[in-house]
Formats: sequence, structure tokens, C-alpha cells
Amino acid sequence: MKQISIDPITRLEGHGKIEIFLDDAGEVANAYFVIPELRGFEQFSVGRPAEEMPRITNRICGVCPEAHHVASTKALDALFHVEPSSAVKKVRELFYSAFYVADHTTHFYALGGPDFVVGPDAPAAERNILGVVHKVGVEIGKQVIDARIRNHRVIKTMSGRGVHPAAGLPGGWSKAVTEAERQEFEGIARQNIDFGLFSLKLFGDIVLGNPAYVDMIVSDAYTHRTYYMGTVDAHNAINFYDGMIRVVDPDGKEFARYHPRDYTQHVAEHVEPWTYLKFPYLKGVGWKGFVDGKESGVYCATPLSRLNAADRMATPRAQEAFEKLYETLGSKKANGRYQPVHYRLATHWARLVELLYAAERMLELATDPEITDPNVRPVVTNTPDEGVGCVEAPRGTLTHHYWSDEKGMLTRVNLIVGTTNNYAPIAMSVKKAAQSLIKPGTVISDGLLNRVEMAFRPYDPCFGCATHALPGQMPLEITIYDAQRKPVERLRRP
Amino acid sequence: MKTLVLGLGNPILTDDGVGVRVAEAVRQALPPEAPVEVSEAGLGGLTLMERLLGYERVILIDALQVPQPQPGRIRHLTLADVEASAPTQHVTSAHDTSLVTALTVGRRMGLPLPRQLVICAIEVENTVDFSDQPTAAVAAAIPRAAATVLKMLTEMEEEPHDFT
Repeated sequence: MKQISIDPITRLEGHGKIEIFLDDAGEVANAYFVIPELRGFEQFSVGRPAEEMPRITNRICGVCPEAHHVASTKALDALFHVEPSSAVKKVRELFYSAFYVADHTTHFYALGGPDFVVGPDAPAAERNILGVVHKVGVEIGKQVIDARIRNHRVIKTMSGRGVHPAAGLPGGWSKAVTEAERQEFEGIARQNIDFGLFSLKLFGDIVLGNPAYVDMIVSDAYTHRTYYMGTVDAHNAINFYDGMIRVVDPDGKEFARYHPRDYTQHVAEHVEPWTYLKFPYLKGVGWKGFVDGKESGVYCATPLSRLNAADRMATPRAQEAFEKLYETLGSKKANGRYQPVHYRLATHWARLVELLYAAERMLELATDPEITDPNVRPVVTNTPDEGVGCVEAPRGTLTHHYWSDEKGMLTRVNLIVGTTNNYAPIAMSVKKAAQSLIKPGTVISDGLLNRVEMAFRPYDPCFGCATHALPGQMPLEITIYDAQRKPVERLRRP
Repeated sequence: MKTLVLGLGNPILTDDGVGVRVAEAVRQALPPEAPVEVSEAGLGGLTLMERLLGYERVILIDALQVPQPQPGRIRHLTLADVEASAPTQHVTSAHDTSLVTALTVGRRMGLPLPRQLVICAIEVENTVDFSDQPTAAVAAAIPRAAATVLKMLTEMEEEPHDFT
């Protein structure tokens, strides 16, 4: 038995590692995606006032504090039994849309994009945003940075802080939008739409225009047929802020549609001895192992999963991009909707479709007459007890569940974060890519290992978030073990 | 000269937030009229680079994990040190890119980056347990680290160093 260990993984949070075990013949026998544990978040939270949670949970993660902030705020709505006004919901969703544009921009240009824009076999030192800028030019690089900066300005203006928002209140938002701010946000939303369209064109030119890349996207090494989860509105269009959780089967047939508060009736967690993180699966199907198909309860919650779970996008240009994705990748329509696309690498494309949707939705909200309603801070007098809040985080469906005593002091906390949903699919993708790419006698090159990494990069896994930690350094270490599990080779790159 | 002292880290992850606590100590030690902005953040990579735009001098304060740590030991690092071997907890955020790469991107785009940047790093012990209290050795280092940062501020004035 030979073992290859990719430890930790480049361009990702925390200290995850991949271990690949080879059999005596040199075939991949198994692969594990291991995430370390960070401890004591629930104990830290219990006994604190519930209304502190939007400002505490946004410290869990340095990558998507906005998602935790909004999910936590929605959990407070439910805990205190207060229905936010229409204006409050729109203000929160506007804030959240700006965050989505910034986050998806970062992933495409700094994390996922380099594999395609620079190339999967390019030296590791070049497969980053610097390589992207070198390839596409400084002017485009400036557009990327500008997109991030202007949307972070929106986040700071609306939430009081640029990184760790502080505006969420039970049933409300601490700061109303002024007319001057609204006008600025409208201009930024229009810029975001142009940027979203530009990014999709760039993807079309560089990725879809290269037959080798298209072949890689549709290759079996990066394909899995699983269930898909996402939040949808009343018309089964994607919504990041609010809606019902919809799950479709691998053929695209609706399997479940439920209120987020009912998540425990639909999702259970499987435990493996080799990792601290649990593997959520669909209760209605059951855990059948790390396997594809309709008989397996494994589900996926990513940008591509959200597109697969929805019937349509809620905005016109995003809908055009949505249709192009499904038509180009050969999806057939059945019962008035596209059948799911199972090519995991197409998640990068789906992320750009979502970026455009977030930009269009931001413009809708920034031009909504209610957005400048000054009454966004209701007085809440109800007795709290239990509440669930849920949003679509960029990395998957994010659920916060709090219990409190009658004074609002927390007695119990449970979180299911975006990456956790995808833990089983990530493990399956890593194994399948390794099995497809590593054969007896294969020379383990940097480029080959990068192609293994590419199997999980579409999920944009955030280990820090999944394990309640903040990011550290993430060099890549690959250790190859022989049949007796002794290391025979070790590669490391910064 | 526009100067920023930025404490990095998560204040509820035991020692991880030591940079934030040192920054607060620096803020309290500086006279109100001091032309220095003192702030804190839990971020890295491109976002951290963008936070530095418009400042001419920057001191980052961050937790440092090494294989055999002496918790509380204070190190004075440059970006070259970070690039070479001893990344602190937050100047490298693999979720977008490292600060070193982000600064290179920023320079290539002609962004207004600081001309001087140094790092006060504190070796830490525990960054895996949620707690709003650092370990004893790290807590004891906070006044010393604050004094180090104040000294660094003075030295930066006396010995300008152009890292670009």
C-alpha cells in the first residue's frame, strides 16, 4: 500500500490535507480529505446574550463573515418571533448581494480561475492571481480589485464595519440607507453588472474557447451524479437571502422542498473515524457510503448545485447566462426545467452566473423605493426560545440554530456551514480524480497533483469555517507512502 | 506621514487574537494627538492588502505559529521574512492569496501601497480553542509587544525603509 498525502492544500483556509492510498499494484485504493478540529464554539456561545451572535459568529470565519452575520441575524428573527419588515429584508439582501459579488469575484480570479486562465499544468508559483493578471493584463486586474473595493465599501457603509459587520438586529438592521448612499449603491450595482458580463465573456473566451479545457470539464474524472440543494423563491428561482430549501435528485426531479427550520427532518450526519467533521446526508434516502446516484443520500450545495436545484434565475441577464450554461453542456429539458449538470468543474462557470445574478439583484434592490425606509429598527418585546436562520453562503447552504432561555441567554447552538454540506462530495471528487489520474507507474508531478486539487477547488471549501477556525498559512505538502505506509517521497511548495 | 498600526487575528480564538489585544494596548499608550491610526481586523490576502491602501507606513501585529514555539516570544519581521519562511497567522490567507502576492499584485497595478511595512509577531501556543482569553504566556507578552510596536514606530521615522 502506497500513500500520497497532499498536506495542506494550496489556496484554501485552515489545515486540510489529502491522503491518497495506493495498493500494491499502484492503483488508487482510497483517498481521504481530512480537516482538523477547532474546539469549543458551542461552549463559548452558551450563556451569552443571543443578540451578540451576529457579531460573534462573524468571527468564526475571515472569509465569509457577512454570510454568518446574516444567517445569525435571521436566526434571531426566529428566536425572538419577529418578522422583519419588507424594507428590512431588502436592506439585508442588498448588503448580501454586494458581498456575493465581492466573494465570487475573489474565488474566480484568485482561486478557481488560475487553473484555467493560467493553466492546470503551469508552475504552482504562477497559478494564482498574479499569473491571471500576467495573462489577461493589468487593466483587467484593476477591474478585479476595483470590484472588490467598491463592494466592500457598500458592506462597510451598510454594516458599520468593512470586515466584521455589526448591523444585524432581531427583526431589523441598525442603519437605514440614505438617499445619497442609495445613489452610490445603484451606480456600483451597474458597474457590477458590467463586470459580471465581462467575467462571463472572459470565461467563454479563455475556457470554453479551448477544446482541451472543455474536454477536461466534461471528463469523467470530474463528474458526479448526486442530489443538489439550494434556496429558491416561490417561482423556484435562486435566492441567496431567503426562501425554501429545495433538493432535486440526479435527474432533476424535486425530492424535497422545505422550510429551513425543518432541516433536521431532512438532513442527518454520518460520522467517519478518520475525520472530526461529520458528513451530512439526506435522511429520506439514507447514508449508503461515498457513492453517486439516486440511491445514495449524498447531496451537494454549491453554486452549480443551486443552479441545478432551481428552475431558473430571477433576473434577465443571469437567466440568459443560466440557459447558455445548460445548453452548452448538453443538458436536456424535462418537465419544463433543465436536467442537472453533473460536471463539477462547471461550478466555476455557475459561480459567474451567480455573480451576475447578485449584481442584477443588487440593482433591483438599490432602485427599490422601500430601500431608504428609515424604519429599520423595530422594538422587540417577544419572549425568545428557539430559532433557525438560513442563507445561501457562497460555499453552500448555511444554517444557524439557537436555543435560549426566556431572557435570551443562549442554552444551545448548532451550525451547519456551507462546506460541511459538501464534505462527502468533496471526498468523492478527490478520490475519483486520484483514481482517474494516478495509474501504476505514473510519475507524481506537480501538475498531476494540481489536477487532483482541481477536483475539490470548485467547492471552494472553507476549512476554517467548517471547523470554526480562522485561516493560517497553507503550503502544500505531498507525501507518498509505500505499501507499508512508510513515506518514500515528500514534496512541498509554498 | 499617514501611519497605520493594524492588529490581526480572531479575538475569540485564544492566542489567535493577540495582535488585536496588542493593538488596543498601543492605542491606549499613544497620546490622543498622535498621527497614527490604530485598528484591528481578522483578514488576510487581498482584503488585507486593500486595507493598507493609502497609508505610507504600516505595522502589522499578528500571532505566529512555529514548530517549537516559545509562547510570548516577540519577533520583528519584514515582508521578506514572511515570504522566506515564517508566515504569521494572518498575513497569508490561502482563501484568496498571500499578503506577499497581494502586495505584488497591488504594486503591479500602481495602487497606493505603504512604502514601509513591518510586522510585530508574537509566538503563540493555542489557536484551536474558542476563548476570549489568551494563554498566560501570551497574555504576559502583550505589554512587551505594545512597547515593541511603539519602538518600531519611532524607528520607522528614523530609518525609513522602502520595501517596494
